Amino acid sequence: MGRRYRMRGPWVLRDIDLDLPAGALLRIAGTNGSGKSTLLRLLAGIDAPTTGRITGRPRTAYVPERFAATLPFDAAGYLVHMGRVHGLSGRQAASRADTWLERFAITGYAGTSLDLLSKGTAQKVAVAQALLAEPELLVLDEAWTGLDTAARAHLDEAVTERVAAGGTAVFVDHDPRRLTGAGARVHRVANGRLADSRAGSPEVPQVVIEAEGTGEPPAALARHTGATAPQPPADQAGTPRLLRITLPADRSDTALRALLTADPPWHIRAVRPAHPPGGGAIPYGVAR
Amino acid sequence: MTALLRYQAALLLRSQRWLPPLLLYGVIIGIGIQSGQPVLDSLGVTAAAILPVSGWLVRVCATGEPPAARAITQAAAGPTRVQLACTVTAFTASAVLGAVGSLIVAAISDPQTDNHTLRVPMGPAVAAGLLATLACALLGTAVGALCNPPVLRRPGWPIPVTALAALLLLVASGSPANAAVSGLVSGSSTGAVHLPVLPLALAVVACAAATAFSCRLAARR
Repeated sequence: MGRRYRMRGPWVLRDIDLDLPAGALLRIAGTNGSGKSTLLRLLAGIDAPTTGRITGRPRTAYVPERFAATLPFDAAGYLVHMGRVHGLSGRQAASRADTWLERFAITGYAGTSLDLLSKGTAQKVAVAQALLAEPELLVLDEAWTGLDTAARAHLDEAVTERVAAGGTAVFVDHDPRRLTGAGARVHRVANGRLADSRAGSPEVPQVVIEAEGTGEPPAALARHTGATAPQPPADQAGTPRLLRITLPADRSDTALRALLTADPPWHIRAVRPAHPPGGGAIPYGVAR
Repeated sequence: MTALLRYQAALLLRSQRWLPPLLLYGVIIGIGIQSGQPVLDSLGVTAAAILPVSGWLVRVCATGEPPAARAITQAAAGPTRVQLACTVTAFTASAVLGAVGSLIVAAISDPQTDNHTLRVPMGPAVAAGLLATLACALLGTAVGALCNPPVLRRPGWPIPVTALAALLLLVASGSPANAAVSGLVSGSSTGAVHLPVLPLALAVVACAAATAFSCRLAARR
């Protein structure tokens, strides 16, 4: 699909072809003005493409970058209204609104008029609005901006939960590491076109894990690693062998967990960047 | 849709942005009508007054949310339904306002013709007044839907264009609003009450078409 805002105007997006399967977590990357927000608005159904079409319309919730709401509601009242618009019953909406206000630690502001809230608190209300709907498609346009550290962590967690429950989440954020641990797939918008740059692109650095052990390498590891170092020659029983695994940094936690919980467990000798600056191999984390 | 309408209605009522159009309605009626005047004449003025007011109420509903909040609602319910809810809410508000206004005006008016020679039957007169008000509210809603975002998005244009369109609809012969109002006013001199059924039917069609057009554009802007 493509999108331009005026007839004969420049194309903001062209020849975009994107699949959003259930359970997918997508990050849209790109420079300022590259069309990230336009793409999100199209995905959220707020905007319609000029050419092509968007098929399927899941239950969608959208969080804008800045929610400066001069609306004549208090926080709880707004959330209940939005919950109803999302298709919840009044009672359901009220109880979920309470839950999310509590989770973001703003229960104290439930009765405060939206226009009196601070920027960060208003942003929490906007996020709560989207999460209480438990949408099939969650679209977050720099939703983390303005949130405090605890709220950011809560949002990360909530997005991960949503994706684990089979929802789809698409987001834009300036922090390149945002949700990389949850396996976010990166799509890059440049010159109005979309390029799939998978995790493992220059944005996510590679790390090398060196482990020593006597058992078989964990089977789960083959799925989680990008490349496994050549196996050392056949061992005699009981002789430890060295395993060297190169993989994207965001998957190192999973790999380490697999190695440490294997039976018998592997001993982690070193974790270091794949291409350390300055040439020296500096381990920056050693386990056990 | 019920939830959206409820949200839009709450937005309209709690924002208090209904106050300026209500004042306009009050001023037009206050200047145009005095108690004890012939009832059909007064109901004609009352019906005409609701046309610009309903156009204004559509503007209040269409621009009631800041863009970020609007985007949230549109993602949740779809831009088409949001626009439809805006228009329906504005129309409902103008219909209620117009009906209340007509009943009050009928209550304080004199059930006679202009020259105080013939009695005008109160029941049919009120019915004709309510139908004319409904027709004008529908046409005002149509004007509002066409003269505000998402159809007319240039800043500065909507208010003068709405005012001009409302005026034209009231004075141009051939417009349903003009037909409905002049039916009442001419009845006031002859004593015959005409129910403005045809103007109402035309107004329904015009309002439906204008609303459908604005809803179609809502997703494309």
